[in-house]
Amino acid sequence: MKFDTVIIGGGLAGLTAGICLQEAGQKVAIVSAGQNAMYFFSGNFESVGPARERIAALFAAAGVRTNAADGLQLMPMGSFRPASLTLEDVTVYPEEHIAEKALIVNFTGFHDFYGTFIAEALEKAGTACRIRFVRLAEMEHLRTSPSEMRSVNIARLMDEHWEKVVADIRVLHKDEDLIILPQVFGLKDASVLDKIRTALPARVSFVGTMPPSVPGIRTQMLLRHRFELLGGMFLMGDTVTSGALHEGVVSSITTRNLDTARLFADHFILASGGYFSKGLATSPTKVYEPLFGLDIDYPENRSDWYREDFFQDQPYMDFGVKTDDRLHPLKDGEPVKNLFAIGSVLGNTRKEEYGTAAGLAIRSAFAAVDIIKGGNL
Amino acid sequence: MKRNEYDVIIVGGGITGAGTARDCAMRGLKVLLIERHDIATGATGRNHGLLHSGARYAVTDQESANECIRENMILRRIASHCVDETDGFFITLPEDDLNYQAKFVESCLAAGINAEIVDPKEALRMEPAMNPDIIGAVKVPDGSVDPFRLCAANMVDAKLHGAQVLLYTEVTGFIKDGDRVVGVKTYNHQTHKSGQYYAHITVNAAGIWGQHIAELAGVKIGMFPAKGALLIFAHRVNGIVINRCRKPANADILVPGDTVCIIGTTSTKIPFEECDGVRVTPEEVNLLVEEGAKLAPALASTRILRAYAGVRPLVSADNDPSGRNISRGIVCLDHETRDGVKGFVSITGGKLMTYRLMAEMATDLVCRKLSVDKACETADTPLPGAGVKSFREVAEKIWENPTTVQKAAAGRLGMGAARLKGADTMDQSLICECEEVSVGEINSAIERLDVSGLTDLRRRTRVGMGTCQGELCGCRAAGLLAKAHGCTERAREDLKDFMTERWKGMYPIGWGDALREAEYTQWVYKHVLGV
Repeated sequence: MKFDTVIIGGGLAGLTAGICLQEAGQKVAIVSAGQNAMYFFSGNFESVGPARERIAALFAAAGVRTNAADGLQLMPMGSFRPASLTLEDVTVYPEEHIAEKALIVNFTGFHDFYGTFIAEALEKAGTACRIRFVRLAEMEHLRTSPSEMRSVNIARLMDEHWEKVVADIRVLHKDEDLIILPQVFGLKDASVLDKIRTALPARVSFVGTMPPSVPGIRTQMLLRHRFELLGGMFLMGDTVTSGALHEGVVSSITTRNLDTARLFADHFILASGGYFSKGLATSPTKVYEPLFGLDIDYPENRSDWYREDFFQDQPYMDFGVKTDDRLHPLKDGEPVKNLFAIGSVLGNTRKEEYGTAAGLAIRSAFAAVDIIKGGNL
Repeated sequence: MKRNEYDVIIVGGGITGAGTARDCAMRGLKVLLIERHDIATGATGRNHGLLHSGARYAVTDQESANECIRENMILRRIASHCVDETDGFFITLPEDDLNYQAKFVESCLAAGINAEIVDPKEALRMEPAMNPDIIGAVKVPDGSVDPFRLCAANMVDAKLHGAQVLLYTEVTGFIKDGDRVVGVKTYNHQTHKSGQYYAHITVNAAGIWGQHIAELAGVKIGMFPAKGALLIFAHRVNGIVINRCRKPANADILVPGDTVCIIGTTSTKIPFEECDGVRVTPEEVNLLVEEGAKLAPALASTRILRAYAGVRPLVSADNDPSGRNISRGIVCLDHETRDGVKGFVSITGGKLMTYRLMAEMATDLVCRKLSVDKACETADTPLPGAGVKSFREVAEKIWENPTTVQKAAAGRLGMGAARLKGADTMDQSLICECEEVSVGEINSAIERLDVSGLTDLRRRTRVGMGTCQGELCGCRAAGLLAKAHGCTERAREDLKDFMTERWKGMYPIGWGDALREAEYTQWVYKHVLGV
């Protein structure tokens, strides 16, 4: 099978690149192992830099609505974090005093949403809080198995029964000017969010839960749908097993499901993620890129990979595939001319240009796409 | 007797202190136990969890070996819910001397340990995880024991017999009347308040820190701090304990425990000042993996969950630099006869396996001094939760819980699992999915077992001890603690400490899947939860 571009990895970086290239008329395939970092996306595109409008437009075309505003995001444990672009689920506030009175609503027995932590933080900023619980008969079957009361399972039910929850909240509501709910709404269809906002007698803020992230999963589904609608081929649940790299050029790759059939392309994009996604791998003695064996700089002494303080930035998170200034990864010091590395596989090696986290994924994808579209490699 | 006056004060909340508190309380004494951290924070919670048969010491130290096997049989009776009767093998590898086996078996039998030579092929059939190259195998009555559970059970029983327990309270000095110790000065690290407590006798059961406690009383005990590092693997690779049949050396014991297995140990002399906060070095990790794979080859490719180290409370007897040849024997010191300090006793040396005997010896001495004539009954009185004959017995009591929760709770709580009876579906919800710890079990621990934070909760319920090392359950449990204690600020700080503590055991083995898990956890806490 021959494509213009084959992308290894179906997360935020891979899908962004895939959509942009299909929009530009290319024939693209994405090989995706399955779950990716979108499953624990906070809804906040960190470090979007000058790319904010371009990202918003790309997502809007896929049916993902965003808030482009500078302000603060209320986090699940009650802290605030700066935001300049978020998914529509996330409300961005100008200051930490976000309301006079807030009603925080959780589901009885749902331990992945932390109303008490949020209330404590808000009260410090002068917002009086009340925490109330709702339970629906339709949710009770989740309790029969002790590990089913999780965000996505609730969200599945909420797609159908959100109106009942709204009715319960209307009864609980007194004079609060803000109602805070966990992000368990609009798994398939984000329009539920607007409907809830309209149906409730106060402003509504959806605050994150423990993973999986419902907004993240919805966004991933919409982006994939957009890519496929544009004619892209998304190989779900498949893993790249080998890549043919000779004299600085990748000619083809093989995957587990396609067996001996090879995927050929003019360009390849490595968007295989960080350690968790297995884009980067480690052994007791080395850090390596498992598919092509690309160059990575890291200290020889393993003790230097970590810091003792869990909450400090960890050195291992900086390690990533080395690239030239056109995002071509290096192999034995030489750039691979038709391969691009984007997203978390870069670690923090290109932090200055492309930022970190979601910002890095999208902005490095844009950069690779622009070079490919520009045509002069 | 006044409110702050006791018959006996016990310093140290490890297994020795807890056992001594239980024994003293059972003999009718008014007991106060003082611990500067939480229960089982020292060597008690930092070892193999091996229910020694004593075979390891048989060749070099008959007395210790004999103590071990007797206590081994007692613990099977009184702490059945803490013990897994796995049996053990002492294997001979091609590079080991097979002649040692005969001497080993002979010494075991002399010490009263039922050692039986098994044909290597037969042994491999019984324990397929063993190195297939073995040239000899001896079966002994080893097992595994959960030291946290054992310590908590002793503590609970001491309290049931009237003992009082002060956790997070440090002994800062002694109150003396001439040449007699009459009480202790304390400082509570949580309330930041000082206190004074009086007793006829004070028992120093502070493990390696006993040297310092003795100094405060004006007495010198030369301890020999020997650090031992261990690794926890994410699977129960072996079902039977595997030991090397040779003179005790590094990394030659592999113990299955719950869902994991543990390889250890190393032995390194450390300065006394370094006893707090020992760290595992990359060299120790490499050595443990390399040597461990000789016992069970699968270890070379099994995910490691964490690394940890403890400090053996050995009393120095000679100048052996490795610390291995020092007797693991029990040292019970009457400082009146030894040093002329009345009202002060030290119980040290020994090991997890012989804690009950140590407690008995210390309590006998205390009783003699107080002229109390009551025999020790701890060898025959089951601990709370013990006495489970079958899982079914427990299951019948908590039939409304899901089977997996029944099994996990029965294992951890024994008959005490009956407390979870009548739990509604809310209480059955799982907080820790790796270790199957339910809301009900956590709330019960918070109510009954002096839990002041997440790390305390982990020692009592195994929350956060599983594959994910607390990444998901840490937050959930913090939510329950915030509710129970009515303070979210404290719960949040506590969560940070908990994750830092979990990380301490992860970064020494931070590669492969362990690093993947760590990256995910760090991402979730920083970017998703905003901690």
